Amino acid sequence: MILNDIEVMFGGQAGDGSLTTGDLIAGVFKRMGLEVYTYKDFPSRIRGGHTNYVIRAGTTPNYGMADAVDALVAFDLEAVQLHVEELRPGGFVIFDNTSETIPTEFRRADVTWYEIPLAKIAKEDLGLEIVRNTISLGVLAALIGMDPHIVRRDVTNVYKRKGEKVVDLNIRAIEAGENYIRDHFAGTPSGYGLQAGVDGDRLIMMGNDAIAYGSLVGGCRFMAGYPITPATDVLEWMAKYLPRYGGVAIQVEDELAAINMIIGAAFTGVRAMTATSGPGLSLMTEGIGLAGSLEIPIVVIECARAGPSTGLPTKTEQSNLNHIIFGGHGEIPKIVLAPGTVEESFYLAIEAFNLAEKYQCPVFLLTEQALCQSKATLPRLQFDEIEVERGKLVLDPVVFGEYRRFAFTDDGVSPRVIPGVEGGMHLAPGSEHSDAGVITENPKNRARMMEKRMRKLVSAAPDLPKASVIAQPGARVGLIGYGSNRGPLVETQTRLQKLGTPANFMQLRTLWPFPDDEVRAFVAEHDHVFIVENNYTGQVARLIRAAVGPLDHVHSVRKYNAQPFRPIEIIDAVQQIVNARPLAGV
Amino acid sequence: MALVMTPKDFATATPSWWCPGCGDYGVLAALKSALADLALQPKDVAFVSGIGCSGKISGYLHSYAFHGVHGRALPVAQAVKLANRDLTVIAAGGDGDGFAIGAGHFLHAVRRNANVTYIVMDNQTYGLTKGQSSPTSDLGYVTGTSPGGNPDAPLNGMAVALAAGGTFIARGFSAQPKALVEIIKQAVQHDGFSVVEVMSPCVTYNKHNTYAWFKDNVFDVSQIEGYDNTNRHHAFEALTAEGKIPLGVIYREERATLDNLVLGDTPPLVSADVYDTGRFAGIQDAYR
Repeated sequence: MILNDIEVMFGGQAGDGSLTTGDLIAGVFKRMGLEVYTYKDFPSRIRGGHTNYVIRAGTTPNYGMADAVDALVAFDLEAVQLHVEELRPGGFVIFDNTSETIPTEFRRADVTWYEIPLAKIAKEDLGLEIVRNTISLGVLAALIGMDPHIVRRDVTNVYKRKGEKVVDLNIRAIEAGENYIRDHFAGTPSGYGLQAGVDGDRLIMMGNDAIAYGSLVGGCRFMAGYPITPATDVLEWMAKYLPRYGGVAIQVEDELAAINMIIGAAFTGVRAMTATSGPGLSLMTEGIGLAGSLEIPIVVIECARAGPSTGLPTKTEQSNLNHIIFGGHGEIPKIVLAPGTVEESFYLAIEAFNLAEKYQCPVFLLTEQALCQSKATLPRLQFDEIEVERGKLVLDPVVFGEYRRFAFTDDGVSPRVIPGVEGGMHLAPGSEHSDAGVITENPKNRARMMEKRMRKLVSAAPDLPKASVIAQPGARVGLIGYGSNRGPLVETQTRLQKLGTPANFMQLRTLWPFPDDEVRAFVAEHDHVFIVENNYTGQVARLIRAAVGPLDHVHSVRKYNAQPFRPIEIIDAVQQIVNARPLAGV
Repeated sequence: MALVMTPKDFATATPSWWCPGCGDYGVLAALKSALADLALQPKDVAFVSGIGCSGKISGYLHSYAFHGVHGRALPVAQAVKLANRDLTVIAAGGDGDGFAIGAGHFLHAVRRNANVTYIVMDNQTYGLTKGQSSPTSDLGYVTGTSPGGNPDAPLNGMAVALAAGGTFIARGFSAQPKALVEIIKQAVQHDGFSVVEVMSPCVTYNKHNTYAWFKDNVFDVSQIEGYDNTNRHHAFEALTAEGKIPLGVIYREERATLDNLVLGDTPPLVSADVYDTGRFAGIQDAYR
């Protein structure tokens, strides 16, 4: 029996309630002491269209997809057709056979089939078809040994705001599922089991919630945004929480307004942010240049999805990095951070606001759908070391003689006075300007002003989050990746070691200014380096080649079908190369 | 403490880039007079401008001035007001900035009713790119990009503002300084979004809508018998009637402002505490 290690996939039609049930299961797993990761693979429509929700649980924090699905809960035949191949041999399927039957060609012999008329039971025994989701939860709970007390408590908590009748109905649905397994499949074990451990002082949180939470803690008091998947959660979170703490989050007419509004708020001295995805970022690009030119601290959250154009709005990809780094006319200093876990999303959001204000430039927090809309377990967030640093912000009346907003300084950062302060009146023009803010086309001033602005990135370097390196003794293979690929890469590393190929993993956390020196040293230390990313052109690989030059031992591993990596895909890619050209000393 | 302010208190040392005789000089002078009359102090005025000849105005008004990108003055201005409601916030730009590239923001600013004043300096042409047709150019206006004559009907921005739910709609003429000062003062004092379109002739590229032409083609809306500028129907009729161009405060009403709706009694956001982070630690309990 496989104990405490399972990947469950809920598959059905969008709008049938499987997200709620999936969240419920994730919560139960967490409260049973397991580490949890969820992945939403849903269509860009509200009702109808195939959707699936993956919940992975285990004793080690594997924040990514497993190689294969262990349990497929299929509410229709389409879910079986699409995903039966993804099942691990020995896995199982729970199938609602109320109105469909499984054709022979999909009926894999190496998995166990639990065909149960979920909708029929829901309708006939419980009087409401939609509770078939909850029945399936009872079925799954009975098959894998989810703690019945925790299941009941969580179901009660989720539905209690809808009233006692709804809670009661769902509890009866759980029982109906459990009973069905007892009555019909007592002799057919699933092969999977769970053992309740200690939950401890842990959380389960979605990446976007962690970003929003971190932004609030990091001092953000103004947010403007335009709804866009997969970033909207951030605006919704801030709209709920900001007003409680003297802030405002507003939905505006478009992304052009959003970016210019946060620039206006930041100019006025309020920490401000927006959150968007690729198409929105395209519209914001001009405004980001303005913030760079005017040295205004803004934070832009980019929740990347698959592009170009509308692309695949609800699917994951890492193809917007080039746009963030190189997009926009002219040249400005900008900082790009990329968290690799939900926990890190919280802390790096705080860091983003500090860096923005200390270096008076746009800071991006780059994440992608497979992380920002995923939930994961994490330790309790620590507040002891959090500090809000506002850099050279001047709030007291100034008597400078003539105040020079863009004063030339050694570190490139000029004292920043905000409206309302006596003595600091000036013009902030997007046209090139003198240190006093007067528009000028003087060539000497232009060159000096470019150097001043760009110098801020040199000054910022010691403050930027370092790449995190997880080392294994004797490793000759190096893995490099960022963002949501941290999960599959850490797992790849663990498994490669078991396969006799220890590897070091470098998770890039600052993507711009690109950590040339750190990467150069890492690349030089390994016989083979694999750069793993979700895009077609190898955007990180090209940045690395720009830093280290073309090298035979640096390999690019890319996936661009808008699905996250499963570890086996990376392991295969590594082994193919390593086996073809053995490592030095092996 | 009420200080006696003069227009000079709002002057900068920056020499103007406008052509001699440009209507925008009149707008700037009226604005400075209005702010002085209202005894505002430069430190409490945030002035946001767009791009174009008119956009240069932010360089000439001693204040916290912001010269952003083309068409986006209004988003910046509204956010400045939300961020610090103690400031007097004024946006300015041309007819292209407000009614072409920034038209979307104009509509939404009007319906949002933030407590911001917006001055549209309308010269009915694109001056800074050397005289192409603008959204308010006359039909048939011959330019480099419309050699056969402008094929697009001019946009009636103030009628659009009224239809979109505008709460203060006024029009002035840059060569009528006294009336313009009075209009701008009322606009700044209005609690809500106030739009002032100022007919501001381009002496270099617009040879049709000249000072002389305007003098013959404008009249004060108060000359209409029985005109009530709190009556939407009167305002709509005046704004859309064929013939001469009405000036003055054409429409006004009181309606809840964005700042009051979203901020309530909240003090200016800029004064919100950001250092005490420990008080947020309890939020995570909802994620246990």
